Amino acid sequence: MLEIDGLRKRYGDKTALDGVGLTVRPGEMFGFVGANGAGKTTTMRIVMGVLDADSGEVRLGGRPVTYDDRRTFGYMPEERGLYQKMKVAEQIEYFGRLHGLAPAAARSATAALIERLGLVERSGDAVEALSLGNQQRVQLAVALVHEPAVLILDEPFSGLDPLAVDALAEVLKDRAAAGVPVIFSSHQLDLVERLCDSVGIISAGRMVAYGPVGELREREGRGTLRVVVRDAAPGWADGLPGELTREGDRDVLLCEEGDDQDILRTAIGAGKVEHFGRRQPTLAEIFREAVA
Amino acid sequence: MNGLWLVAQREIRTRIRTKSYLISLAVSAVLVAALAFLPKVLGGDDSYDVGVVGQAPPPAAQLAYSRLPDEAAARKAVVDGDVDAALVNGDKVLANGELDQRLGLILESVHRDAQIRAAGLTITPLTVESVGADARYEGVRTGIATLIVMVLFFLLIYSAMFVAMGVVEEKGSRIVEILLTSVRPWQLLGGKIVGLGALGLVNLVVVIAAGLAASSATGFTADLPPGMGGIVVSAVIWFVLGYAFFSALAAAFGSLVSRQEELNTVLTPMTMLMMFTYLTAYFAAVEPAGTVARVLSFVPPFSSMVMPVRTAAVDVPLVEILVSGALMAVAVVAVLLGAARVYRRAVLRTGARVRLGEVVR
Repeated sequence: MLEIDGLRKRYGDKTALDGVGLTVRPGEMFGFVGANGAGKTTTMRIVMGVLDADSGEVRLGGRPVTYDDRRTFGYMPEERGLYQKMKVAEQIEYFGRLHGLAPAAARSATAALIERLGLVERSGDAVEALSLGNQQRVQLAVALVHEPAVLILDEPFSGLDPLAVDALAEVLKDRAAAGVPVIFSSHQLDLVERLCDSVGIISAGRMVAYGPVGELREREGRGTLRVVVRDAAPGWADGLPGELTREGDRDVLLCEEGDDQDILRTAIGAGKVEHFGRRQPTLAEIFREAVA
Repeated sequence: MNGLWLVAQREIRTRIRTKSYLISLAVSAVLVAALAFLPKVLGGDDSYDVGVVGQAPPPAAQLAYSRLPDEAAARKAVVDGDVDAALVNGDKVLANGELDQRLGLILESVHRDAQIRAAGLTITPLTVESVGADARYEGVRTGIATLIVMVLFFLLIYSAMFVAMGVVEEKGSRIVEILLTSVRPWQLLGGKIVGLGALGLVNLVVVIAAGLAASSATGFTADLPPGMGGIVVSAVIWFVLGYAFFSALAAAFGSLVSRQEELNTVLTPMTMLMMFTYLTAYFAAVEPAGTVARVLSFVPPFSSMVMPVRTAAVDVPLVEILVSGALMAVAVVAVLLGAARVYRRAVLRTGARVRLGEVVR
């Protein structure tokens, strides 16, 4: 279990993190969401030990994370970095060795990742000769080659085509299924919603919403009431709050307030009720609400 | 230690495969070999061509005789410059304008010799014994010292630049963020210094081998002073010490910036120090026995170039070399520790140039 507890970080007068905390269980995929400059990258860099927090702690299995723990982490920094002139396979293997793999293990792990990420034909090319999307696959391979015990990925999906997004999503699910805590940040909220078990929304250095995706949606979901009625006489909804629109031969009523039972009775009296329910907010809506 | 070794291996493997490394290796070897041929080419041969009409004089070491039919032919040969002078009938010398002073003395003594021999007398030549230091090789040793200054300077600045460029490459591309989650800063820095240093050492050995091979090909080896092996070994050891010192500085300064374009500016203090070391060493090569050379051969980092120059040019007591080496080693350790500190604090701070004052506190 990876625990991030009360991280604070200031740059001069600017507060970057103001008590950020989160917990990721083994096998859990955690989506980290926030506007640019909200503190996602700073948090991840502190977890990786690339940056020191002013206060707060990062724990793994209850103990403060050490350098030796971090060597078993897989990390994809926000600013991608690879040796441009080094060949793809050689580079992935080199990082495997640096993380402590034996030569043979590094070689076979490299071969497997190259296969999995669709880089077989480019394995002998220098990184600089690759498209940005392919460079990003190499970057990911570098983060994964040593079968990390924790995965910290900063914007791993940005700049990938849909196929590459699917391939990466599969790889992450696999790692999570193997019991690895996975944290990734993304601006693609639909993706976070689809992949993650829990999310954290950070704004101006504070965690403004945090929890399992379903719970968050319910908690935030004093959602809009949507009623669809057919064959109703015009003017039936005049006494009700909300906004009435006409879609073909159906009336659609959207209500933010009012007593739902009253509304339902009125609707049944007016015509055939085809739909009655509260719409759960999407993550994007929760996000907008939270950071507003 | 394993991390350091892996980093060093990567540096060597990556660099040794580049064309620029192989070319620079070849060029420096050829240059030094050419320098070994230089004395032969520039000095020409040190014997004189003398045309002879009539009776031939006794042979002399520095004279090459060529027979001419008569005095008219001799005059023409002298004027045309085919010969340096002509000897007519053993008692008249034809010269083009003034006779070369040294040639005149030689001809005079040959002439005297011939007459003495004709008179049936023999003379025993003077024996010469040196009561001072052995100065026979002074010129050659100064030459070798000058050569060592140049080779050391270029190899040092070249290798140190590569360390700085490598540091900036990793910092600028942010790859250092990933690297430092799997190796310690000192392993990354040490590996780079060791790896590129090994390549510099290869370069030095190739240059020395090329120089010695060319010398033996030209027959120059016979003129080399005794103790040449010691001079070579000392140059190699001092290269290692000087390289460790300057490359650590280069890495520390390099880690302050994120872009290669900023490197030259930030490295200025280091290059100035190197230039100054080079100039003092050059001065020491010219006047190796002087007080300045003697003092500077103990002061790091100047000693890294002045001491090998002094060792090559004059005889230096072993104890002086050891003391100077120990001082330099202490300086190297101090600079390595300081550089590791600066590097560790600066290398993750990308963006604007980091001021040295912010990271040495």
